[in-house]
Amino acid sequence: MDEKKSRRIGGKIILALTLLFFYFPIFYIIVFSFNDSRSLTKFSGFSLRWYEKMFSDSAMTEAILYTVLIAVIATLVSTVVGTITAIGLSRSSKVLTAIVERVNDLPVMNPDIVTAISLLMFFSVLAVKKGFLTMLLAHIMFCIPYVMLSVTPKLRSLDPNLIEAALDLGATPFQALTRVIVPQIRPGIVSGALIAFTMSFDDFVISYFTTGNGVNNISILVYTMSKRVNPSINALSTIVILLITVALGIVNIVPIIREKKEKKKQ
Amino acid sequence: MKQFRSMTYPYVAWITVMIVVPMLLIVLYAFTQSGNDVLTFRFTFDNFVRFVTDKIFRAVLWRSLYIAFFTTLICVLLGYPIAYAIAHLSEHGETVMILLITMPTWVNMLVRTYAWLGILKDDGVLNAFLGLFGIGPVTMLHTSFAVILGMVYNFIPFMILQIHTSLNKMDKNLLNAAADLGANNVQSFLRVTLPLSLPGVVSGITLVFLPAVSSFFIPKLLGGGQYVLVGNVIESQFLTSGDWNFGSAISMIMAVIIMLSMYFTRKIDVSVASGGKE
Amino acid sequence: MAEEAKKLIQFKNIVKSFEDGTVVLKGVSLDIYENEFVTLLGPSGCGKTTLLRILGGFLQPTEGKVLFDGEDILSVPPYKREINTVFQKYALFPHMNVYDNIAFGLTIKKEPKDVIEQKVMRMLRLVNLEGYGKRNVTELSGGQQQRIAIARALVNEPSVLLLDEPLGALDLKLRKEMQHELKSIQQEVGITFIFVTHDQEEALTMSDKIVVINAGEIQQIGTPTEIYRRPVNEFVANFIGETNIIEGVMLDDDLVMFEDKKFPCKARGFEKNEKVDIVIRPEHLDIVPRGEGMLKGVVKSQLFKGMHYDTVVETRAGTSITVKMQVSQDKPVFNAEAGEKISASGFILDVADAASLSDAKVIALASAEAWIAETEENVSIKTVDYDIKPETGEYSVTFATAAGTSITVRALVVKENRVESTVYQEEIYAMNFFKKVEDIQESIALDTDLKMWATASAWSLEDENEQVEITDVKYDFDPETITPGVYDVTFATAGYEYKVSTTRAAEEGSEVGLVFRPEDIHVMKKGGHK
Repeated sequence: MDEKKSRRIGGKIILALTLLFFYFPIFYIIVFSFNDSRSLTKFSGFSLRWYEKMFSDSAMTEAILYTVLIAVIATLVSTVVGTITAIGLSRSSKVLTAIVERVNDLPVMNPDIVTAISLLMFFSVLAVKKGFLTMLLAHIMFCIPYVMLSVTPKLRSLDPNLIEAALDLGATPFQALTRVIVPQIRPGIVSGALIAFTMSFDDFVISYFTTGNGVNNISILVYTMSKRVNPSINALSTIVILLITVALGIVNIVPIIREKKEKKKQ
Repeated sequence: MKQFRSMTYPYVAWITVMIVVPMLLIVLYAFTQSGNDVLTFRFTFDNFVRFVTDKIFRAVLWRSLYIAFFTTLICVLLGYPIAYAIAHLSEHGETVMILLITMPTWVNMLVRTYAWLGILKDDGVLNAFLGLFGIGPVTMLHTSFAVILGMVYNFIPFMILQIHTSLNKMDKNLLNAAADLGANNVQSFLRVTLPLSLPGVVSGITLVFLPAVSSFFIPKLLGGGQYVLVGNVIESQFLTSGDWNFGSAISMIMAVIIMLSMYFTRKIDVSVASGGKE
Repeated sequence: MAEEAKKLIQFKNIVKSFEDGTVVLKGVSLDIYENEFVTLLGPSGCGKTTLLRILGGFLQPTEGKVLFDGEDILSVPPYKREINTVFQKYALFPHMNVYDNIAFGLTIKKEPKDVIEQKVMRMLRLVNLEGYGKRNVTELSGGQQQRIAIARALVNEPSVLLLDEPLGALDLKLRKEMQHELKSIQQEVGITFIFVTHDQEEALTMSDKIVVINAGEIQQIGTPTEIYRRPVNEFVANFIGETNIIEGVMLDDDLVMFEDKKFPCKARGFEKNEKVDIVIRPEHLDIVPRGEGMLKGVVKSQLFKGMHYDTVVETRAGTSITVKMQVSQDKPVFNAEAGEKISASGFILDVADAASLSDAKVIALASAEAWIAETEENVSIKTVDYDIKPETGEYSVTFATAAGTSITVRALVVKENRVESTVYQEEIYAMNFFKKVEDIQESIALDTDLKMWATASAWSLEDENEQVEITDVKYDFDPETITPGVYDVTFATAGYEYKVSTTRAAEEGSEVGLVFRPEDIHVMKKGGHK
């Protein structure tokens, strides 16, 4: 069994190196956000000056605010619209479903930059002033297909007679939806919302082309500021990492806690 | 079921306005001459001809494909053993490892790419580390190496996850069957595991190659201002030189290439996967 | 015997425990001979598949030895063992066609191409799939995939073929066909088949030898006839075929007593007055007129099965209890001011239950309800006034709606009411109760409602948590036309029942006798092993 053991150790080494590769840059950024000097290479002492600088810089605080605001609104809207549409499509003709799915594929499969310039030209042709609203509309546009991609498989795996059963037992179509269908596809809706949130939160390319009027999100800010050495970006990045980690933590840990509580009740 | 069908109408209207019309605009601009306004356009192939005949642009396209190709190759060569090692962990270890690999992808790509700046600089940590062995300093930032590294870093999780899924989907009894029929570990791998995990590799390739060929901030951040790939050309057409027609034509070429390759890889995927049931 | 069969495989005291502490095999020893069709039979999770996987080389035992042809093979990897396996869901390679699947083992051994082709063709012929070579395995039916899996294993000319529930995924008809086909293939190739199944019928049809396994231990090894006719313990008797198991006492050699009667039998080697289990198969019992019966009973049910009737005869009634049901016809109280009606009935309550009452429980016990007189729409009962103490006595309970419509009823708290039966070691409990005429008329499952209203339940005296089912609810009123008054309701558990497989029809409820022959009484030691 020595051969097996050595293979196992080999696997462990590969995985350790993988994790180092993935996490080293992230830890690096976090560590240097606390650096006392401007240097990105030499750590000269602990300080919070870059955080102070970041929070006193209105461009940075605004970018954080816009990012969160747009992500929240886009997630809410796209989750509701995406879920309703997916349910509607599951009861519609195959042709309509196929058409909507193909059109949805366009922003999902195309490179972001293609989607981005199409929207840029669209807004310009309509002479809409680019800014918060155009960026929000763009985000809603690219988030909905992901929600639908996450909800539709759950709908497909449902017993096709569920709605009929609910109607047969006296539920109105609306009650059939809210009491029977939605609870069954909830995991799909939740993961769809989560994907939508992170897609919006992390988006750079589409935001970059559809914004204007001084409205920036975090990604755009990092892109435009990274040309010069600016340790405030490290501080900003650390905040972003923190936010995402906390959000992921909540999403992953809450169900475990809930499960434990339910077990205790029993 | 009319009530349910009518639930789709608002979205159908929305995608018509927000997806179909903008995409058609790209086609419209790609086939018209610059300088005209929306109402009086003249049909032309000039924009495409210009992209194919211009030496500089051809070089850009060539470089984009080359960078994307190497990125994809490295992702396959590194991603496969990683996915394989994960698939051979205990069930618990597997879940944790998958979570650990997914986690960084949730963090903003720009932030993660930016992090490499400090590492790759001439006086950065990596050079400091190499210095311990008396090597360097090696110029890494603003080279193809940095761009490929940045792309591999950003895109390899997709490859790992795809391959892992296809390895995981495989019936473990197939390996027992192969061993039962006299195949040793190497033979089992080559004749059973590898062919059955190919669909995962194929979809991993599309998921890496496509963003790699169209990326424009990774070359800008890690390759420096002079490092131009297709994405950067499109960016400059729209944001600096203002030639929408030419920019649309390049975008359209890229979109068509990508849609076609997606279509074909899906076909391969389906034909291999149809053997993957049961 | 002219030639003694050779021991091919020997399991020596195999123990297998998993990391989480579960012990799947608890010291299994078993010899398997050449050219045998051996079946490992047992319920799922009994360890039969684990034993097979140890032999195949996919699992290592925690303790013990496996000898193959006299040599320890535990350190031999699966790909070097002269054993091939047909896996549970076949494990055909989905990326190869039929031919390549079957040829897999031979190409690994680098046999010449023409030899491979010859052998594969011969195998396809053996499993009746000539001309299927180019087909994609995923396009084949379950039965065809099954044959391919067998061919893929047999082409390597193993000395043992392991089959892990190979027929489990097939439908009934196909399964029967494959049973015959497997048996004939085994006879044709003349090697040892070790077959794992949980289907006793499959085992009885195909095997030369059956090994019954339960909870990680071998229960019995024998030919199908031995296992069926002379099971060694209750588990085997129950697992193989339908059976009647009765507790009895061995009075002497060839004399056994059960149901307080003495019967001649053919059984020796027991102590005098040793407690034993008696097995009589349903087909060895017959129904005769009551006077001629060795046992007397009542026909409880009879199902027609085509060739025969499956009949259940009860020789002794179960534990029963009779309670009084007081039926009243309470008029609902009408509150003209609010336009509401309210109704409730008196109820009887056990002292033990009186301590833990809630409003909802009281409402349910009294079946209190209120409604709007005109529309019959339900109105919720807002207040429930009661002062019931956990002592016997009579109390009053008042229900009222928000609009002030109210009704008062009596509640009786009584001492518990239970019956103990030492014959069956069980106890049954039920209470007297009040009910309204409409409740009985409107009930759509009266037996179940009666059990609930009387809070009837029964349990084993040996283990209080073990519920015993109340199978009989008897009453002598017609629920459609019941009038107010007091009625008896009897609840009973099942008594001694015999399953009889007979060609004689008998009416349900008729009194009959049962007969059997001395040689059909099989006597087992209590909790016995061989």
